[in-house]
Amino acid sequence: MSEKRPSQLVDALAQTIVGQREVLDGLLLALLCNGHVLLEGPPGLAKTLACRSLAAALEGEFKRIQFTPDLLPSDIVGTRVFNQSEAAFATVLGPIFANVVLADEINRAPAKVQSALLEAMQERQVTIGPQTHSLPDPFVVMATMNPLDSEGTYALPVAQMDRFLMKVNVGYPTPEEELQILDRFAVADTQPVRAVASLEDVKRWRADAHAVHIDEKLKRYIVDLVAKTRHARGISLRSERGQTVDAGDLIDYGASPRATLALANLARARAFMDGRDFALPDDVRAIAPHALRHRIGFNYRVTTEAVSPERAIEALVAEVAAP
Amino acid sequence: MEVPFQLIVRVHVRERVDSIDTLILPILAELELRGDQRVVRSTRSGTDYTETITVLAHHTGTIAIAPATLQAVDARDGRAKQYSSNPLTITVGGGSLDPLAGAERFARSAWHWAVRIAIWGGSIIVVVALAALIFHHRPVRVPAPSPEPLPPQPPPAPARSRRDQLSDALTVLRAERSRGSAVRVRAAVWRMIGASEGETLADVLQRPDTTDARMRTLLRSLERAAFTYDADLMQAIDDACASLEAILS
Repeated sequence: MSEKRPSQLVDALAQTIVGQREVLDGLLLALLCNGHVLLEGPPGLAKTLACRSLAAALEGEFKRIQFTPDLLPSDIVGTRVFNQSEAAFATVLGPIFANVVLADEINRAPAKVQSALLEAMQERQVTIGPQTHSLPDPFVVMATMNPLDSEGTYALPVAQMDRFLMKVNVGYPTPEEELQILDRFAVADTQPVRAVASLEDVKRWRADAHAVHIDEKLKRYIVDLVAKTRHARGISLRSERGQTVDAGDLIDYGASPRATLALANLARARAFMDGRDFALPDDVRAIAPHALRHRIGFNYRVTTEAVSPERAIEALVAEVAAP
Repeated sequence: MEVPFQLIVRVHVRERVDSIDTLILPILAELELRGDQRVVRSTRSGTDYTETITVLAHHTGTIAIAPATLQAVDARDGRAKQYSSNPLTITVGGGSLDPLAGAERFARSAWHWAVRIAIWGGSIIVVVALAALIFHHRPVRVPAPSPEPLPPQPPPAPARSRRDQLSDALTVLRAERSRGSAVRVRAAVWRMIGASEGETLADVLQRPDTTDARMRTLLRSLERAAFTYDADLMQAIDDACASLEAILS
């Protein structure tokens, strides 16, 4: 039997999800890097379906948690209940114990709930009462945020945003893709995603991706890119109104060293997905917006000067010569 | 004085709100309020609130306007905070309600300008006259002897053809099978096809000069030789040499 490749997983997901290639690639990259993804996009763009399909394609367990203002940490990680018949406390594990966890509208829950989730994401274990429980492996959290409806939301603190390996912006489908969606979902029963890989395959892919070579020149390129986010003064870019804006005026703080690690890991994973055992500058450049956009502290001037964060990152990346 | 002007207060908050009730505007006791317009605009990153106050000053002098303040609870740490705009000091210039006073000012100003134009015009005529006088009396220059003719320059070396450059690249790669030579050859080939420093392979492969399949294979093999791991380097250089030979054959 031939060895399974990550591309098979993407192909299987693409049979259910129309378009959204960046989302599917992002989910797989996060899986290969053992990281977590923040998806930002309006409702109805198949974010939940993508996560559910990923779990099904891996024969893994999927759980969805709808974040609300009255959610408690115990609703996520689990709690201890008193069993009267046995006169003892029993542990009930929360929905976080799954391979693929969808944290829907993560910014609707208060900070203590977000912290509980993000701590579990970082430590990959949960302590309930006196016992510590390891989370399953692989364990990937896909958190979603809706940019349109921000009333009654709690902004994610910077330190918590930094824990997401990447942030993918989910856009609307093209008219052609939307026609495909109409055709595909016109039938009453859509075909469920079949399992094309196992959790063991994922662990093997992860080890292989981690072994992908990154040349010294490329490491320097990554470090220079991240450094540029901290010293953006003097980089000119055009706003959507056609005015020249200094990138340094738009940024309060640059990306952390975690961004450097994320860029390297994501470049390795992308090279692996492309069938290479060495990373290229193209890998770094392709994943830079996803790894940087939530780690750079853009201030209100991106709004007043009509410059999108994406355009600012593009200008920063263009400023650093690839090796 | 007696001319309406606008004071604009802009507030940006990260949340989406319908109104900002906790914005306290300064008391404009020395000015007459002529209008007040509020615009609340929701954007992807929050809410932009703009309040435009139209006022009128009835007397000259300096008017100090205190800062506008906004009291809000910072969602990040739950503490009440007060934000302030900058204070303003405006100087109201003189003016008069007498229409004849304006006409008199205009006449006086016109007379001053006429005198200035006459003085400047006279000065320019004097300078032009002096320049003409000096030019007229300048001694005639004796032409200098012509310099010795330069020896004929050797014709410029013909630009090396693309084939020659690729042949050189192959020679270099065969002679020195190292990462450094692979990087130098890669840079030379990129220059040859007009790619600038700082581009990536994806950029280069979009150039019109790289539509040939053999050239694309060469570019990919050189990229591999530049970035692959040490154990794969010799094989990558062999593949790059084979790609060069395929183009040169």
